[in-house]
Amino acid sequence: MNQPLIDLQHISKSFDGTMVLDDLCLTVKENSFVTLLGPSGCGKTTTLRIIGGFESPDQGKVIFDGQDITRLPANKRPLNTVFQKYALFTHMTIAENIAFGLKIRNKPKAYIQDKIKYALKLVNLDGYENRSVDSLSGGQQQRIAIARAIVNEPRLLLLDEPLGALDLKLRQDMQYELIRLKNELGITFIYVTHDQEEALTMSDTIVVMNQGYIQQMGSPESIYNEPENAFVADFIGDSNIVPGTMIRDELVEIFGARFACVDKGFGTNRPVDVVIRPEDIDLVEPGQGTLSGVVTHLIFKGVHYEMEVTTPDGFEWLVHSTDLFPVGKKVDLRVDPFDIQIMNKPASEDEEAMGVNE
Amino acid sequence: MSKKLLAGPYLIWMIGFTIIPLALIVYYGLTDRSGAFTLENVLAIATAEHAKALWLSLGLSLAATLICLLLAYPLAMVLRSRGKGASGFMVFIFILPMWMNFLLRTLAWQTLLEKNGVINGILSALHLPTQSLINTWGAIILGMVYNFLPFMVLPIYNVLSKIDDNTINAARDLGADSFQTFLYVLLPLSVPGVISGITMVFVPALTTFVISSLLGGSKILLIGNVIEQEFTRGSNWNLGSGLSLVMMVFILISMALLAKYDKNGEGSTF
Amino acid sequence: MKGKFTSIRRILSDFYLVLILIFLYAPILTMMVLSFNTSKSRTQWGGFTLNWYQLMLSDPDILAALSNTLLIAFISALAACILGTAAAIAINSMKPVSRTIVMGITNIPMLNADIVTGISLMLAFIAFGISLGFKTILIAHITFNIPYVILSVMPKLKQTDKSTYEAALDLGASPLYAFFKVVFPDILPGVLSGFLLAFTMSLDDFIITHFTRGAGINTLSTLIYSQVRRGIQPSMYALSTVIFVTVLVLLLITNYKPKETKGRESLSGSSSHLGQTIQKWAMGGAAVFILASVTLVTWKNYSASHTNELYVYNWGDYIDDEVVEMFEEETGIKVTYDMFETNEEMYPVIEAGAVTYDVVCPSDYMIQKMIENDMLAEVDFANVPNISQINPEYMEMSQAFDPENRYSVPYCWGTVGILYNTKRLEELSVEPPESWMDLWDPALQGEILMQDSVRDAFMVALKGLGYSMNTTDEGELQEAKELLIAQKPLVQAYVIDQVRDKMIGGEAAVGVIYSGEMLYIQEEVENLGLDYSLEYVVPKEGTNLWIDSWVIPKNAKNKENAEKWMDFLCRPDIALRNFEYITYSTPNQGAFDLLEPEIQENKAVFPDVDKLENSEVYRYLGDEEEGVYNALWKEVKSR
Repeated sequence: MNQPLIDLQHISKSFDGTMVLDDLCLTVKENSFVTLLGPSGCGKTTTLRIIGGFESPDQGKVIFDGQDITRLPANKRPLNTVFQKYALFTHMTIAENIAFGLKIRNKPKAYIQDKIKYALKLVNLDGYENRSVDSLSGGQQQRIAIARAIVNEPRLLLLDEPLGALDLKLRQDMQYELIRLKNELGITFIYVTHDQEEALTMSDTIVVMNQGYIQQMGSPESIYNEPENAFVADFIGDSNIVPGTMIRDELVEIFGARFACVDKGFGTNRPVDVVIRPEDIDLVEPGQGTLSGVVTHLIFKGVHYEMEVTTPDGFEWLVHSTDLFPVGKKVDLRVDPFDIQIMNKPASEDEEAMGVNE
Repeated sequence: MSKKLLAGPYLIWMIGFTIIPLALIVYYGLTDRSGAFTLENVLAIATAEHAKALWLSLGLSLAATLICLLLAYPLAMVLRSRGKGASGFMVFIFILPMWMNFLLRTLAWQTLLEKNGVINGILSALHLPTQSLINTWGAIILGMVYNFLPFMVLPIYNVLSKIDDNTINAARDLGADSFQTFLYVLLPLSVPGVISGITMVFVPALTTFVISSLLGGSKILLIGNVIEQEFTRGSNWNLGSGLSLVMMVFILISMALLAKYDKNGEGSTF
Repeated sequence: MKGKFTSIRRILSDFYLVLILIFLYAPILTMMVLSFNTSKSRTQWGGFTLNWYQLMLSDPDILAALSNTLLIAFISALAACILGTAAAIAINSMKPVSRTIVMGITNIPMLNADIVTGISLMLAFIAFGISLGFKTILIAHITFNIPYVILSVMPKLKQTDKSTYEAALDLGASPLYAFFKVVFPDILPGVLSGFLLAFTMSLDDFIITHFTRGAGINTLSTLIYSQVRRGIQPSMYALSTVIFVTVLVLLLITNYKPKETKGRESLSGSSSHLGQTIQKWAMGGAAVFILASVTLVTWKNYSASHTNELYVYNWGDYIDDEVVEMFEEETGIKVTYDMFETNEEMYPVIEAGAVTYDVVCPSDYMIQKMIENDMLAEVDFANVPNISQINPEYMEMSQAFDPENRYSVPYCWGTVGILYNTKRLEELSVEPPESWMDLWDPALQGEILMQDSVRDAFMVALKGLGYSMNTTDEGELQEAKELLIAQKPLVQAYVIDQVRDKMIGGEAAVGVIYSGEMLYIQEEVENLGLDYSLEYVVPKEGTNLWIDSWVIPKNAKNKENAEKWMDFLCRPDIALRNFEYITYSTPNQGAFDLLEPEIQENKAVFPDVDKLENSEVYRYLGDEEEGVYNALWKEVKSR
């Protein structure tokens, strides 16, 4: 239980002289749902392919359940992958697709038949055995791709943006389906996506990556509520990132106004970045808040109103609120201390990429 | 609606210069010199010398097709693995040699294969026994392979290059080793290209008369030579047409095969 | 370990690619090397020369063939692009059923055998009374080129988003404008690659051109094929080398892309755009270059319009080109010169009348056949005063096929005999041949070159058996056939005029050959400093005494010019020039008298006619009997 299922040790990988992963370390516990999240080109897919055995790292080791599998070819690894565009075998029927891995392992016929039935039932596609791949919709193909992988009873399932090609509604359905599957099967999922909502919905653990480095790793709540740097804050959800000065512990100055906060240990009078989520800003009548401004934009979003409040220094604050404040109205901003997140300012671009705050 | 009219000139052209000419071959093939209906010209294929020429043509062209396939498939696989870098190579193996005339290229093989030719010259320089290469079945097969190899490589390469890398990765991921991946995934998926390639090599090889006369020393008579001679020397156009009809049967079989296995034109050569 | 494995794999695959390249380029390299060879022989290296490149530039045949080839390739590819692109657009908007039918038709020329396509087009042209010539080749090429264009354009059309066309219409563009401004740029790459493919295919085609070409029209392919008979002129290698290198350079230029922008994604977009622009310019440049050279050569060839014409149909390499030029200069008649390889090949061309020639040079028995089939016009000898220069002995010999000397003017004559390599026979410990039957010596396995024509092959067997070579006796013919079949395992190849080059190259020990080749052979052996000598013998059983004479087909349009031609060739100085070029024995006494005694006494070239007592002249045996010969010969060949 203490031993991680996957342990990536100091992995580096470059293509044509471009560094894609730089000294990456990552451990994944058995039976967890880990999501690698980041913009395209951040190295998340490469990480997955290194675990899957489709790329070999230039440096570092891949440890699977205590064993070094770095040089083990893909077909010998005790894990399976669900590919981005499903990668089903178009020349085979659905049943043949699902049976592929089992046949390779020379499983008995009856066993294979049972497994096909079981897997199709699991993905809610009973009776599709003899259909051709082309006759299935994208969502159905995706389920077959999952079925094809899980019949092999892998201890680890890798999913490479499996829902990327589906439309919104279907994607949401499939998210619940995946969570259900994971709970029923009790296997470990490593999931790659650039969709932060997907990551927040499904994962136990989110690993935010950028430019080959891990920016932050933690539960969805901690990633969302306590982003460790501007990149994470910006990438996950909407946020207002403003420059500030840490006057002393638990007090920060933004655009000349002083806010109480809960962060400590940044020293005194040091420049910092301050993150405030739009829904954490309360708009109040002038004089009742810390910072005053004017509402300059207003959009109705369904659940809430999205407003922009411009403060005298020219900064446009993004505010989500269920209360309506019309454009042109003077308002004050108020933020609760525990909703203010303080981060160190990165000294350089490289440092920014590496996410030095840790 | 008006767009369809654009096909008009083309269809008129094709009817005038493809359909009608072929109908003329049928007409000539099924009549005698006086214009009376006869099956004699078609049945003439059964006579000993024609049947022999046909069997020999079939044998040599099948051998050439097989060798082309065995050479082309690995080549297409290698080219596929090279990704975009392969396109330059494709030009070099396919387009460029064509600018050196087909007859000259084949004649150059004569120079290479002759008794005192380049290959035997190299062999004797290495103190190896010289070989009689020219004017043999082998020389003709070589000529066919040489001239038609690109027509096998291209369709196979086209099909292989369209297969998503992840499809192969998926097979590997599901436990298939290289050979199993090839056997169960790559090979079945490339069938349209293979069939197309086989057709593109087999038909011209079956009907060639130039390669057999240049590299076979006219000792080896193929069905193409027979037909060519009926038109140019024997001046029996009816017999020539009749024998052409027999050959068209093989061509039709090839077309039917192609239609069956390559419904979507995935394996098209170009 | 895996890394090592992949690198081994990489090395192996590189090795394989190199092997394939060697396989594909070995013959091309060979040809390039041969283009610098002083000797005409393909197997002997005579030293380095650039002579052939010079000759190439001054050879009107080659330049004309080059211009025809490029012109046909260009026009046919262009026409195919227009027809094919229009068709592709139409097909793309068709319903599945009609689309399948049309695509089926499209596939016919692609999948059909070239020989069937060629023959069917030839039959159609003749049936519709279209005379074979430049335009028929062009039509044929357009026909087989269209499918390549359609198949290149179709995928691009499928990729094209239909809504962009509709967007253009929505913004007020007319359908035509919308097509050219919106759709066409999208499918342009397909059209261009279709064009290049069609151009290349047209350039490389031989078989279809072979069947659809007419008088005086040669493409490079057909010119080369007509030269195969006498051995390829190395200037053809030179030309091919020039073309090849030009294309190679063009390709390298168009495919060159600056490397420094690689890996910087933001820039690569603009750099590939730059590359495309360069490519477009280069392609445009190439097109302009081709067009310019084509028009230049065409203009050069056809600038002077000739109402005064003469169509000549002769054996390949059977005249000194300068003689033709001199004739044109002296008479102002424009000569269109065309070549055939065998009498049997020439006959149907004249018979079909798809091409009308004014003067033809067949052999004895073929002349008889043409006379009997009423295909020849009588020569008005008043217009051929120089006929008096012909030694009466040969006029007499001609009576075997032209009983009253009314139709033919003798041009060349000779015997058929055995050429042997003295050194090679010694190595095989075989005595020099004296009899035709020596060609059945098992010790000569794989060392014999036989003639690849019906009558000559049967002559060897029939004479060997002691029969007449004009026999119609079925038993005798069967016997001869069996004999030829028995000889086949010993034969290295059945060839026509390649005997010459193969014997010089030391390819075989003995070969059946026409006497006229001897002077050239002996000269060449000396020039190359070969360590063996080639000797000629007329076997004791006698041989074929042949005469090639000029005749005028009945349908000739320029009979008077034909007679001028005959008269011109009978002039002793001209006959001498021709003799020195083709080295076949001349029946022209005036020319003979001008020769050096050494040559006059060369018995291989001028054998004493009275010593050839057993020899005969071929006679035409009638269509039916000819059919019998042909059938028997086919039996031999297919065995």
